[in-house]
Amino acid sequence: MAEKRTMTLNLGEAEMRVLEELSAKKDLTKTAVLRQALRIYQTLDARIARGEKLLFENDATKEKAELMLL
Amino acid sequence: MTVQVSEISLPNRQSGQSAQAELRDAIDEQPLLDWMTRWQPFTADVLRDLAARGVPKSQWPQSRHWNWGAKMAEVSGLIAFRGFCVTCNGVTQGLMRVDLTPLAREDTQAGKPLVYVEYLEVAPWNRGDGGRTPHYGGVGSALIAAAVKLSIDEGFRGRIGLHSLPQADGFYRDTCGMMDLGPDDGYQRLRYFEMTETQAQAFLREEAPE
Repeated sequence: MAEKRTMTLNLGEAEMRVLEELSAKKDLTKTAVLRQALRIYQTLDARIARGEKLLFENDATKEKAELMLL
Repeated sequence: MTVQVSEISLPNRQSGQSAQAELRDAIDEQPLLDWMTRWQPFTADVLRDLAARGVPKSQWPQSRHWNWGAKMAEVSGLIAFRGFCVTCNGVTQGLMRVDLTPLAREDTQAGKPLVYVEYLEVAPWNRGDGGRTPHYGGVGSALIAAAVKLSIDEGFRGRIGLHSLPQADGFYRDTCGMMDLGPDDGYQRLRYFEMTETQAQAFLREEAPE
């Protein structure tokens, strides 16, 4: 496994609550949740930079909505 | 980036002996060079032979059009994607690209992250195309074991998933013990397979006993 580096992360109460909820829901450590978030964010950012769009489709209605990343 | 190298053993199907091999957690320049200068010409010979013998195209290797150079270039620098390769006798024997961001579908683990095996291919001389005797066995299993171990290292408890080319359905179902969730309408109707934590432990006990 690649060498790891350590950092201190300051989160607000609501952010920490979300992190804890995601950690429980996804059965991941908080560190693993943040690593997943980073992977997904970088992938989305790269694809949008290539001119692709991020769309969500409602499975039932087939309605599509574009998510804008800033 | 430091490449992690693990020693593994592969059965040589032609000599009956076992051979020392390496599992590497990267696909860098040499494996891509091997793919271009060794795999491609070998595959071209196989296809010529299959065509000459009138073997229907449905029985030709279904991954024959894969371009590993392009596959690795499109995810270069993206931390969600990882490559693995197996080398033996200085030659690349198998390649795999995985994505760490998809979520599981099987009821007991739906919504939880897994290691999704996007592409896995063994060198053409390790397949039994057209009745040939494969050279090295166990390359695909070694790569699946690497995906399972990565899943454990990432805290995903061994969960992996993949869409299988029809020629490989039996390998994932019977050899790897993965759950067949059926054809996926959203993915060229390829069958989707998933491995649970329990199945992953059983697979590793069988494949890579410590």
